[in-house]
Amino acid sequence: MLNEKTVQAVLTAAVSTGAEFAEVFAENNCRNNIGITNGVVERANSGTDRGCGIRIINRERVIYVYTNNMAYDNLIRIAREGAAAIKGDTQHNITVFNRLEGSNAHPVVIMPDTVEKKRIVDFLMRGHSRAMAYDSLITQTGLSYMDSVQDVLIANTEGLWAEDKRVRTRISVSAVASNESEKQTGYFGPGALQGFEFCENMDIEAIADEAARCAVTMLKADNCPGGKMPVVMDNGFGGVIFHEACGHGLEAAAISKKASVFTDKIGEMIASEKVTAIDDGTIPNQWGSINIDDEGTPARRNVLIEKGVLKTYMTDRYNGGIIGMAPSGNSRRESYKLVPVSRMTNTYIAAGTDKKEDIIADTEYGLYAKYMGGGSVNPASGDFNFAVSEAYIIRNGKICEPVRGATLIGKGSLVLKSIDRVSDNLALAEGMCGASSGSIPVCVGQPMLRVQNITVGGRG
Amino acid sequence: MDIRTLKDRLFESAEKEGFESCEIYYQSGSSFTVSIYKGNIEKYQSSENGGFCFRGLYKGNMGYYFSEALDIDVDKAVKTAKENAEVITIKDREFIYKGDKKYPSVNVYNAALEDVRAEQKIQTALSIERYANEYDSRITVNRSMVTSGDSYVYICNTEGLEVSEKGNHILAYVEVMAKDGEDTREKGEIWIGTDISGLNEKELAERACKKALSALGAKSIAGGTLKTVIENETFADILSCFLNSFIAENVQKGFSLLKDKKGKQIASDIVTITDDPLMEGGYATTAFDSEGVASHRKTIVEKGILKTYLYNLKSANADGVKSTGNGFKGSFRATVSTAPTNFYIEKGNKSREEAISGIEYGVYINDVAGLHSGTNSISGDLSLAAEGFLIENGSITRSVDQITIAGNFYEILKNIDTVCSDLKFNSSAIGSPTVVINGIEVSGEQ
Repeated sequence: MLNEKTVQAVLTAAVSTGAEFAEVFAENNCRNNIGITNGVVERANSGTDRGCGIRIINRERVIYVYTNNMAYDNLIRIAREGAAAIKGDTQHNITVFNRLEGSNAHPVVIMPDTVEKKRIVDFLMRGHSRAMAYDSLITQTGLSYMDSVQDVLIANTEGLWAEDKRVRTRISVSAVASNESEKQTGYFGPGALQGFEFCENMDIEAIADEAARCAVTMLKADNCPGGKMPVVMDNGFGGVIFHEACGHGLEAAAISKKASVFTDKIGEMIASEKVTAIDDGTIPNQWGSINIDDEGTPARRNVLIEKGVLKTYMTDRYNGGIIGMAPSGNSRRESYKLVPVSRMTNTYIAAGTDKKEDIIADTEYGLYAKYMGGGSVNPASGDFNFAVSEAYIIRNGKICEPVRGATLIGKGSLVLKSIDRVSDNLALAEGMCGASSGSIPVCVGQPMLRVQNITVGGRG
Repeated sequence: MDIRTLKDRLFESAEKEGFESCEIYYQSGSSFTVSIYKGNIEKYQSSENGGFCFRGLYKGNMGYYFSEALDIDVDKAVKTAKENAEVITIKDREFIYKGDKKYPSVNVYNAALEDVRAEQKIQTALSIERYANEYDSRITVNRSMVTSGDSYVYICNTEGLEVSEKGNHILAYVEVMAKDGEDTREKGEIWIGTDISGLNEKELAERACKKALSALGAKSIAGGTLKTVIENETFADILSCFLNSFIAENVQKGFSLLKDKKGKQIASDIVTITDDPLMEGGYATTAFDSEGVASHRKTIVEKGILKTYLYNLKSANADGVKSTGNGFKGSFRATVSTAPTNFYIEKGNKSREEAISGIEYGVYINDVAGLHSGTNSISGDLSLAAEGFLIENGSITRSVDQITIAGNFYEILKNIDTVCSDLKFNSSAIGSPTVVINGIEVSGEQ
């Protein structure tokens, strides 16, 4: 992408006014995507994003300039333009880069650019046919495929030189069930840090069946009753509650501004002792994994909460610096257009010892949230809300009728303390997480767990 | 390689590959952002960016290729576009448009904005922060920022179309936190324009502060079916989530409950909805869409009756009508889809205060959370965490939070009882006045 001489000159220009630190992030990202609606291939697109971002830091001040004109003169010009906003007195001597060596922990078997488009279409069509055949109530399907091969180069004034290749593949399957007046959608979006072998090894029929089943079940469901009640959240995407309500509050970007309820709480009991939570960017081929983060720090497994006690935050270089913590391998960005900040990778509540069956049997009345939808949180207050995409009423220890339109609202800090059961069936699920440094691939996850009391919004 | 040279080479290569016609869509722009935190520059960004999309008709199917880099292998790019065209099976064809005879002139570029230096933008952000800090001791400012940007679009094809448009804008945003003991509330306010002299820094700061302070001490209320006032921008945000149902493509695919509703009552008869790409000062104002179709104003819903869907060339052809000029792309990377421009509910006569004064017991909602997860754009179901105020005997009595409002968008449209006169647009150019809804399910503490 860029040679050492160019990077050296750009960094030198970036710190020409005495900044403490400068960094170059160059990227080339080749993508393909295909979209099929109701069995018809509607969309096929390919292309390349390429550009370079230069970050200059001096004390509290962060300057960021980027361009996709990678010509030497242009890079030097924008580096100088950025430097003009700094008055510092640090001297640098950028002569040698230390290449960060490390093996690729996420092997790829079939590179996306070797796969014929026809093969991808045939694969998706299997999912379409299966979902349509599930039930006569299924009236529409939508399937999509995307791949991305992102090559990155990160170099900084401390002599770091790191490169990484991230190959990602993801599909989505949605099935719509309808009657005369209504429609309900079932959706799954599996993905991996892998090539096309991810699709080859996938049971797309099973995924299509499950999406269709979810849509049909919800179409026949009555509205969810509102009120406060115990909620049993199942594994996998149920972990979105931890991601939104707690994970974001454990990012250094929120902590450094004291904009999180978890600020200054390390060592304190912030959750029920049943809760151990981990962010692990090293899981092989997992959707949210990385070899190195977008500042060149190797990915790590960080225990965030251990038996209810807050152990650490997820940090990036800048915000970690403010709170006196080293980078934790969590600095991420969607592309060269964005300043990296502390973000999650694969974040989950660890498996406990309770049994799934016992948790349900122990609940007299409550809501069973089989699949969660998305949600959002206000980091200052910890107020969150989540949609439940498939839910059932629990009555006398049994899962009873399905209900729809449920949302869960509450405060992250309170919910963490009122988790009273954690089962042993941990599973992860893929998603995209949006925040100041863009939309990035992450996994959420948890085993089945129960929250004693939470406000359920519904219409019934 | 400059864009016009690249265009010629792409067109030449495409002809050799057997494309029937083709087009290049080029977009570029630059932007500047400064963000202030505690009197210091916390963020300072400048960028220049651009890219193109090549598309062409091959055996009746449109094939696409995009790139941010202009120094590409032209033949390889055209071949990839051809491969993409070959797997397309949709029958509704996309078009390379020959262009309109006349294009409206719009005022989206202010040359004077180019002369506003970085230093002035920094001072503006600093003074907004200062005004907010001075307003009340319970306020801290999370962020005060000013962003400016310019953009350029150029479309050229082998059918004879060649159009371009240049625009610029400036935006100020402040986000404050009000804190009283453990009770914290964050609120933001935004201003967008093309002329920086139109910005009242003090007023913007104070609006954000008032919003955050008024939310302090909020508590939940008992649930029930309540008369609900939804503030202008909040209702515009809710409307944004259901715009997909007005898009012809979704109607044709069966993804919209507005199917077969043209000419029928879909909203209360006091509701008129307009899409106006020519609106002076609109955030989505433009002379042509991404397919090169000339812009014009149209009524979408007139006194509650659905008049038209939003069309691009492909969906219009399928329905045997003319494009409404709403064929837009999210960016140069994307394929053409359909999007509204300045899309809004026309204002009524009553002031907000008058509307509230007629309510014996109800809620006033000025913020909702969970719009991306708590709404189902197909079924119209919504269930949102909400906050605002309690209305008792015609006036606001206290602030409210930890409630959810739930209902169905299509039912809500029919249950609009009052449309106020305070039309306001959100930053996505979707606008609404404050509205009163005759009964929404509110759940809270029991």
